[in-house]
Amino acid sequence: MAEVCFQYDDGPVIRERFNFGQFPIMLKSKYCHLRGADPQKLVSCREEPSEMGGYFILNGLERVVRLLILPKRNYPMSMVRNSFSDRREGYTDKAVVIRCERKNQSSVSVKLYYLRNGSARLGFWIQGREYLLPVGVVLKALVDTTDHEIYVSLTCCYSERDEMEKGAVGTQLMGERAKIILDEVRDLSLFTRLQCLEHIGEHFQPVMEGLETKSYSDVADSVLEDYIFVHLDNNYDKFNLLIFMLQKLFSLIDQTSVPDNSDSLQNQEVLLPGHLITIYLKEKLEDWLRKAKKSLQDEINKKSNINNKGSNNKNKSFDFCSLADVKKILDKNPVKQISSSVENLLKTGRLITQTGLDLQQRAGFTVQAERLNFLRFISHFRAVHRGASFAGLRTTTVRKLLPESWGFLCPVHTPDGEPCGLLNHMTSNCRITSFFDSQGNIRDFKKIRKTILSVLIAVGMTPSLPNLVQAGPPEVLSVLLDGRVVGSLPSSMVEKVVGHLRRLKVSANAMIANDLEVGYVPLSLGGAYPGLYLFTSPARFVRPVRNISIPSEESQNIELIGPFEQVFMEIRCPDGGDGGRRNAFPATHEEIHPTGMLSVVANLTPWSDHNQSPRNMYQCQMAKQTMAFSSQAINFRADQKLYHLQTPQSPIVRTSSYTKYGIDEYPSGTNAIVAVLAYTGYDMEDAMILNKSSVERGMCRGQIYQTETIDLTEQSSRSDHSQKIFRRSNVNKSMHSTIDSDGLPYVGQTIQQNQPYYCTYDEVTSTTRPYNRKGSEPVVVDYVALDGKNKEHPRKANIRFRHPRNPVIGDKFSSRHGQKGVCSQLWPDIDMPFSGVTGMRPDLIINPHAFPSRMTIAMLLESVAAKGGSLHGYFVDATPFTIPVKKDNADSKPKTSSLEETDGKTESKPNSLVEELGEMLKERGFNYHGVEVLYSGVYGTELTCEIFIGPVYYQRLRHMVSDKYQVRSTGTIDQVTRQPIKGRKRGGGIRFGEMERDSMLAHGAAYLLHDRLHTCSDYHIADVCTLCGSILATTSIQQQKQIQKPKKFGGLPPARPPKKVICHACQSSKGMETVAMPYVFRYLAAELAAMNIKMTLQLSNAAGA
Amino acid sequence: MDGGMSYQRFPKVKIREMKDDMVKFELRETDASVANALRRVMIAEVPTVAIDLVEIEVNSSVLNDEFIAHRLGLIPLTSDRAMSMRFSRDCDACDGDGQCEFCSVEFHLRAKCLTDQTLDVTSKDLYSSDHTVVPVEFSDPNDPGEQRGIIIVKLRRGQELRLRAIARKGIGKDHAKWSPAATVTFMYEPTIRINEDLMETLSLEEKRTWIESSPTKVFDIDPVTQQVVVVEPEAYTYDDEVIKKADAMGKSGLVEIEAKEDSFIFTVESTGAIKASQLVLNAIEILKQKLDAVRLSDDTVEADDQFGELGAHLRGG
Repeated sequence: MAEVCFQYDDGPVIRERFNFGQFPIMLKSKYCHLRGADPQKLVSCREEPSEMGGYFILNGLERVVRLLILPKRNYPMSMVRNSFSDRREGYTDKAVVIRCERKNQSSVSVKLYYLRNGSARLGFWIQGREYLLPVGVVLKALVDTTDHEIYVSLTCCYSERDEMEKGAVGTQLMGERAKIILDEVRDLSLFTRLQCLEHIGEHFQPVMEGLETKSYSDVADSVLEDYIFVHLDNNYDKFNLLIFMLQKLFSLIDQTSVPDNSDSLQNQEVLLPGHLITIYLKEKLEDWLRKAKKSLQDEINKKSNINNKGSNNKNKSFDFCSLADVKKILDKNPVKQISSSVENLLKTGRLITQTGLDLQQRAGFTVQAERLNFLRFISHFRAVHRGASFAGLRTTTVRKLLPESWGFLCPVHTPDGEPCGLLNHMTSNCRITSFFDSQGNIRDFKKIRKTILSVLIAVGMTPSLPNLVQAGPPEVLSVLLDGRVVGSLPSSMVEKVVGHLRRLKVSANAMIANDLEVGYVPLSLGGAYPGLYLFTSPARFVRPVRNISIPSEESQNIELIGPFEQVFMEIRCPDGGDGGRRNAFPATHEEIHPTGMLSVVANLTPWSDHNQSPRNMYQCQMAKQTMAFSSQAINFRADQKLYHLQTPQSPIVRTSSYTKYGIDEYPSGTNAIVAVLAYTGYDMEDAMILNKSSVERGMCRGQIYQTETIDLTEQSSRSDHSQKIFRRSNVNKSMHSTIDSDGLPYVGQTIQQNQPYYCTYDEVTSTTRPYNRKGSEPVVVDYVALDGKNKEHPRKANIRFRHPRNPVIGDKFSSRHGQKGVCSQLWPDIDMPFSGVTGMRPDLIINPHAFPSRMTIAMLLESVAAKGGSLHGYFVDATPFTIPVKKDNADSKPKTSSLEETDGKTESKPNSLVEELGEMLKERGFNYHGVEVLYSGVYGTELTCEIFIGPVYYQRLRHMVSDKYQVRSTGTIDQVTRQPIKGRKRGGGIRFGEMERDSMLAHGAAYLLHDRLHTCSDYHIADVCTLCGSILATTSIQQQKQIQKPKKFGGLPPARPPKKVICHACQSSKGMETVAMPYVFRYLAAELAAMNIKMTLQLSNAAGA
Repeated sequence: MDGGMSYQRFPKVKIREMKDDMVKFELRETDASVANALRRVMIAEVPTVAIDLVEIEVNSSVLNDEFIAHRLGLIPLTSDRAMSMRFSRDCDACDGDGQCEFCSVEFHLRAKCLTDQTLDVTSKDLYSSDHTVVPVEFSDPNDPGEQRGIIIVKLRRGQELRLRAIARKGIGKDHAKWSPAATVTFMYEPTIRINEDLMETLSLEEKRTWIESSPTKVFDIDPVTQQVVVVEPEAYTYDDEVIKKADAMGKSGLVEIEAKEDSFIFTVESTGAIKASQLVLNAIEILKQKLDAVRLSDDTVEADDQFGELGAHLRGG
């Protein structure tokens, strides 16, 4: 709800208020009434006690704005793209690109192309077209300068002395290129700044809207201001940055530096929801202004026309000087459109824009936050998408997992298949910087930059502004602060300065923002272009690491680092190794814990460090499709579909994240006793046998809540203008068993297929009409809610149904280790194997073949650990990477005898995890390896092997046969082809397709094939006229009804008189034959006839049929 | 026929331990098939009474109707009468609607929370129409005086649960709620022979490590003679740990362990629906009935061919 204050300038400023409509409010944002609510208040508001907000509710759907990867703002990136050389004749494939961001988050990309003749062109987009300017013209237009100054600035990074030295980026070619650039300007006979401005202005006047009447130099000024380096507001800064970019471009050409990888996280940031909405709103406001101006102008023109003609018109009343009139005109422009377009963006995720907002895609900005389970829900907020435009690319380079993303994006948590590597998830301790600091106050970026600048000057930086000329690497390094060349530092000093900045970053008195990114690119031989790049901007990734170069007595040594600086930092991981840095590069930082590299969901896999890596990926996917305890406020929700597990449990074996993220509030599985054995073969190929008795006692039971919204206003407006209300017929009492007197179903009522469940009364036609339940299974009415203001006659109702979903054969289950399986049998207790000692029967049997190729060792560990944990009565911690960390901290205990492992578990190292777990079992009189002697439940004899058995946390996945099975014997057929229809919902069949046909042929099963494709499909007997060969021209002639003969008793019923068929074309019934054929053949003949093609059939008996 | 080879044996039962909810006995001189049949019958075919039909009048609790009905079904009811009751499907007195005294028992539950404290609705709130069929009473092992019911649902202020339930006779085969047995298990009785000569070659330390290799306490060292003795053969779980250990020590054949093929040690735990001892007796009774059903009467001649030798054998006794 935003009322925008509108300023209208006419001499003195008059402020007029225009209501631009209402805005969707993000949950728990500043304007949300849930802001700052404690769990108790949330519950009283019928919300989740752990509601986190951050999404919008539109049309009853929860929608999240997706985080999108964007190129890093205000950082000149050198790139090599083949598409650059296709731009125009003479262009090479190399360029330096910078995405400049204005203060209002809208951005403009500027590209600096290199030309084959040694010059460069500056390219930028205005209204969907790219304009290219010679760089010399821009340089001259920006600042009053001389050719000599430009020459010196460009060549300063080259000196003969430094050539071939480490870190040198300039070569002697620089001078020649500078000359070419300057020559180009001279060739255009542009010598002064004014000439350059006028040159630019002349070319851009047509495209710059609203400046048609301004002078050329004014136009040029606004081009420079609005499209070139928009993040800077000073022309000198722009000049310096352009020089810097030229130097970087030339160094790229001369191969003294390598191109930046635009796919690596180092050069990326993220598009935040707030920023997206801001820029979209800005554009819509601009649109509105433009339209308003146009309509005002039209009005004025009209008036002048009228005046010219001298005729009277009612339009005369318009007076530009009267505010009321102007307002009236402005109101003609639909003001509410602005809010509705923002709403539409959130609703559909589609941008409707002319300029494109410098974004790569137009759709897919928002997604629905499904509450299938808590993990899926939370993943929507942690997901980072690479951009829809990359999804279509054939190449896989964008999908690759690059080392730069370490610690920021989870290597495990990405879906496999189509969006693999494009849809990533942030690690559990990765954050995004924003306009707010850690205390929640709005940041003043100007002030922050100023302090940083003063700090830099204090430590010895030469500021760039007074004098334009400076030396280049390797002597001095340029310092860029948020894309502004602020000065240079002698390269010998940089390291000290960086250390100083880092110390200030973590220090408590907050001289410098704690998330400042200190990207120090050191000198190298042909590596990345050196410099000191500082970033304070929002929308960057940051993560905490421990700074160990700071003495530990200062308690604050947690530093927030970004992906740009991380590449050039030495961060030790406490896994025991040194990452190959030995003594040459001593670590200055340390990871807080190795699990920080995993996402929230990946962190929940117990001992994921013992699993084969793809299994952990599968688990991340399956955790998100688990049927779980999805919501605590389930009674107050009206989701279209909600899966709910009746009796979930908290896992015995758990990682520390379970407590950290409160996963126990939303448990997602059952600690099932799992036996690993091949029992009867019904557990082949990832099938699993469930204990029927366990299921009857409530294991893995669940239901689907499905809400149906019935809106009678919508129904009536769509068809006739009838007034419908909910009412039950008092005449027809047959449906009183399922429908209450208000026309809606009873709560708690079971409704079978095709039973009526609500009833409407049409006030116009005064008829009642019951509506029957579709779908094949009985459902229970869980909840009926009335909607709308009209209390007398509610016209909108939400009916929530409950579909029971108890485990049946064909349902899918999985452990937490990417081991999924389908239930193949439900066996009673007595048939399950049992332990002689404890009498335990497993809840679930899986096949041992599930392990060797998949190597999910953690699942075996989990089984042993959970068994030990349940025997001892405590939860077992299964946080990955704890053993190496522990060992690292306290260097190993005395060695104990190592035992041979028989079960293919990890090799037993001294003091290993397995040993620890084994001892737990042994203490309680169980086998060390977690195996037990089991007896066959059917025969009562001992099984030949000892069986590995123990509790494993199993998840029930949402894919259930009841939602998927499709059967048909006979049923509806297609009207045109008379073939069976498709679609599960409509009771159709599954296509017996071409490949199925091939296999039938290969088997020689001709009769079966004929049965499937003909007899069970569109069998048809057609009359064919052998004389003309037509099947269309035949018609049966109704013969006169013969007088019924008196029925003979005991005899056969009178034979049907043979149908008399006649051919229209031949006018005879001679040569009529009946032929069985698919009906579509007849249809084909008819279609061909419509195209004037005659199809004739030639019948023969030659086949001997 | 009687004089010749006969498979007939006379199993012996020796009760070792007997409590209300637990029985431990030996079954000797029979084979695994009989033992397992007994186990299976105890779990799946001894009838009990359990709530089978629930009519919910008011349910404003957080749990849905099916959930509560399911929970009610799982409450064990005292079912001493179950053996003499009829299945409601073949009860002649009623139309199988479960209203008559021969086949069903009616329960009522009315609970409403009127205070700010959470109200636990337990099995004690179930009122039975028949005093012989009531929810099983459980007591806290730490505090035997206090009777705790099985919690059905918890209510907060203003929530209410009102229902009528009908309990019927049934067997565990149909649904696990009718199973009277919590656990029924048997194991073969082991015979353990220590090779004393070989054992003497071990040092005391070696003996100790060997003994400790077994997760359960089967062996011990006699404090006087320092010999290894079998203290509790039945604690042996057939895990072969000691044999593997002996092999690893290079002393194969240190101990020989065999399972006696014809004697079983049964452990029966009851849910409380019927006494464990009664459960065993009922199981034997049902097993007998089942055998009677198989034993063919003389007038079914054609079945003779069908069953062949087995039929003849059964008829001959």
